[in-house]
Amino acid sequence: MRPGFRTLVSCALLVSGAALMLYGTYIPAKAWLAQLLLDRAWERRLAGESDVPPWPWADTQPVARLTLARLGIEQIVLAGASGRVLAFGPGHVTGSARPGDRGNVVISGHRDTHFRWLASLRDGDRLDLETSDGHSRPYAVVRSAVHHERDIGLLDPMDGDQLRLLTCYPLDAIDSGTPQRYVVTARPLRL
Amino acid sequence: MHRHERFGCLGLLWQAVFVGLGASLMMALLALSLAPQVQAATQQGLRLYGGGDQVTYAPQLSTEVSIRISGALTRVTVRQRFNNPSEHWVEGRYTFPLPENAAVDRLRMRYAGRLVEGEIQERQQARRTYEHARASGRGASLLDQQRANIFTTSVANIPPQEVVQVEIEYQQQLRWQAGEFTLRLPLVVAPRYIPGTPLPGPEEGEALSARGWAQDTDQVADASAITPPVALRGADGFNGVSIEVELNSGLQLAEITSPHHRIQVQERAPGSYHVSLADGKVPADRDFVLRWRPRLAEQPTAALFVEQWRGQHYGLLMVMPPQAQSLPTPIPRELVLVVDTSGSMHGDSMAQARQALLKALQQLKPADRFNIIQFNSNVHALFDEAVPAHPRYLRQARSYVRDLQAEGGTEMLPAMQLALKDPRPSGLLRQVVFVTDGAVGNEQALFQAVSREIGDSRLFTVGIGSAPNTLFMRKAAEFGRGTFTYIGSTQEVGRKVAALFRQLSAPVLTDVRLNWQTEPTGVPVAQAPEIVPDLYAGEPLVIAVKAGSAPRSVQIEGRLGGRLWQQRTVLQGGAAGDAVHALWARRKIQDRMAGLVTGEEHDKVRETVLALAMEHRLVSRYTSLVAVDRTPVGPPNRELKSTVLATRLPAGWSGPAVFGRLPGTATPAPTVLLVGLGALLLAWVTRVTRV
Repeated sequence: MRPGFRTLVSCALLVSGAALMLYGTYIPAKAWLAQLLLDRAWERRLAGESDVPPWPWADTQPVARLTLARLGIEQIVLAGASGRVLAFGPGHVTGSARPGDRGNVVISGHRDTHFRWLASLRDGDRLDLETSDGHSRPYAVVRSAVHHERDIGLLDPMDGDQLRLLTCYPLDAIDSGTPQRYVVTARPLRL
Repeated sequence: MHRHERFGCLGLLWQAVFVGLGASLMMALLALSLAPQVQAATQQGLRLYGGGDQVTYAPQLSTEVSIRISGALTRVTVRQRFNNPSEHWVEGRYTFPLPENAAVDRLRMRYAGRLVEGEIQERQQARRTYEHARASGRGASLLDQQRANIFTTSVANIPPQEVVQVEIEYQQQLRWQAGEFTLRLPLVVAPRYIPGTPLPGPEEGEALSARGWAQDTDQVADASAITPPVALRGADGFNGVSIEVELNSGLQLAEITSPHHRIQVQERAPGSYHVSLADGKVPADRDFVLRWRPRLAEQPTAALFVEQWRGQHYGLLMVMPPQAQSLPTPIPRELVLVVDTSGSMHGDSMAQARQALLKALQQLKPADRFNIIQFNSNVHALFDEAVPAHPRYLRQARSYVRDLQAEGGTEMLPAMQLALKDPRPSGLLRQVVFVTDGAVGNEQALFQAVSREIGDSRLFTVGIGSAPNTLFMRKAAEFGRGTFTYIGSTQEVGRKVAALFRQLSAPVLTDVRLNWQTEPTGVPVAQAPEIVPDLYAGEPLVIAVKAGSAPRSVQIEGRLGGRLWQQRTVLQGGAAGDAVHALWARRKIQDRMAGLVTGEEHDKVRETVLALAMEHRLVSRYTSLVAVDRTPVGPPNRELKSTVLATRLPAGWSGPAVFGRLPGTATPAPTVLLVGLGALLLAWVTRVTRV
């Protein structure tokens, strides 16, 4: 084999491999960095500032803060659950009940980034969902189950008073295309 | 050394890559495994809210509709009861349909034992009036028009464990077609497909609570206002509707039927009937349709309703032109059948559409040409261009129709454009039959396309399913100079398609002109519509008129199948009609709004519509009705719990077919990292194995 060809192949593999590694790193890095910026925007919102975009070109806005005290997790939830939104944080599914309201509030997040911790949830875990007016609603995890992606009744705003956290299943799979969803249900808590 | 020299540049690259790789791997590890340390669980005494608690703050809605029919006019009162079983002060917002030609002229609110009359205000002003009342703790309700057939009621400061009732009234002229009257009362806004790219998220507060399940897009700027949340599971027992009809037809009726609901009919006096639902309350998930047919001997050929209002004379005239027989030798035509195969058509609707198409294919004559176009997220035509109705092509068409499957989006605009495009005019009469439920949010763009591109083609809409978009059906047909038909069940398909094809093959009354005679002569007469549309077989001429003195007679002329047709109608002894002025103004507004489609200046249209709507107290795109109670009773605004009420999915619809799937929630990061790592390893291997 001609050495020039081998060098070429080696170089091409090297460059594309490095590019892929960078891209693969960029996804979780972006997810992590966005939460830092969002956190700052949220604090300013709580302090009473209205229109606070987390970054100048943001096309979504924070709608709630989700806390799991047991694992020290605090995340800012964004409006909408499109792929673009989910890159930056867990997204509130438009059409389900609004955070802070009674009803079925659905939040969706990426299984590899923001919602990795769904796997460590246990029944009875307490979740708090804080809205921008500073009010917080406590929930307790009562159930985790796997559903088909076609089971959109899960998004029904009237389907009970609860918080549903939703991510792709299997939780530790490599392939990103899956028809299954892991759904954690938490019921409102009376303190 | 030797190798190092040859790979000098590569060696440097390798060093850079390994440093970079190390850093990026560390970052990846950090970012990917941010799963924090498990801390001591802080379990508290957990008490969950029991199942008996109310699910949401949403007030519970029930609706009562009373319908009073006199002749060809109807007055409808819709009572929406917002019942608040919670211990909070709440605000509720409900998006619901009304007929696309309803003249909505009254809003009343029963609040804390008082009856408050609503007033008409400019839309933004009405919103401010409502917001102010809401903030000051007063009971208030607001009625906005989102589309000619979609309205929103907002009710503020509903007290704990109290009911607030909102009464909406409208006047409507009934459809009279082929010897039959039809009343259609829509009960649910079907989920609409929203084309376009989402606009940046809504502003704080107001917009957020107005939110529907769809985001506003560049093509549908008010998408969130016309897509109320849909209850897919918890829908049992909410928003029950009861309907009572007083039917004074003035004629002996051969039959009264309701195709989609079981009804009870009592004859109270000759020509006077009471109709109610046999099942009491029904779910608000499909149109209520009532039809009645006078005995053959009593079929009316003309009707006139008159009213004097603020010194002006108003009239509504309906004339049935003579029924021309079908032509002995039918004119060959090019028939383009367009069928909606989007997700909303899944199930019953698709079955109805398939049957309708098969029936339509049967009607083709050998001299005709035809094509079939289907659309969902994409558009597909069976043939590149229209083909002769030969058995071979018909066979192909039938198997194409039988295989139609409903799924995906509703990109109707490209389908409409393709259907109206006539690349090689064949000289044949070109008729486009458009079969759809009309569940789209970009009606205006579609009307513009039809009006711009109709050319010599004619567009006929066929509304399918339990809750078709009546605005789309009527206006698309109007701009397309055709007619509209509804099919609500598979049993109706044969009859309806046959009736449509009678219209398609019978001569059309064109160039209709009216010449009004007044006393004294020369009094200006304002007629609506100004330009009379072509009339198809079985359709009456319907004209609203306003004049300083009552017109005495009218000379009607037009061309029917190439021959001049003339008729003189004496306008005396018209029946006194309620709110005929409102019907005239409604028709006038419709005329003016059509200007927005044909390219008139928005400000001018707005100005005339606003003036008309304010004078006649009508809800329009630019005016709303608002009712405010005098006494502040509620808490300050901040404590008001606000909800958008959910609607049902229309009967026969499939949730997953419309809304697709749950959000996808896996990133490609792990795969990408794995492949990247593989590539690097391979690069390393190819390097070291070289000797």
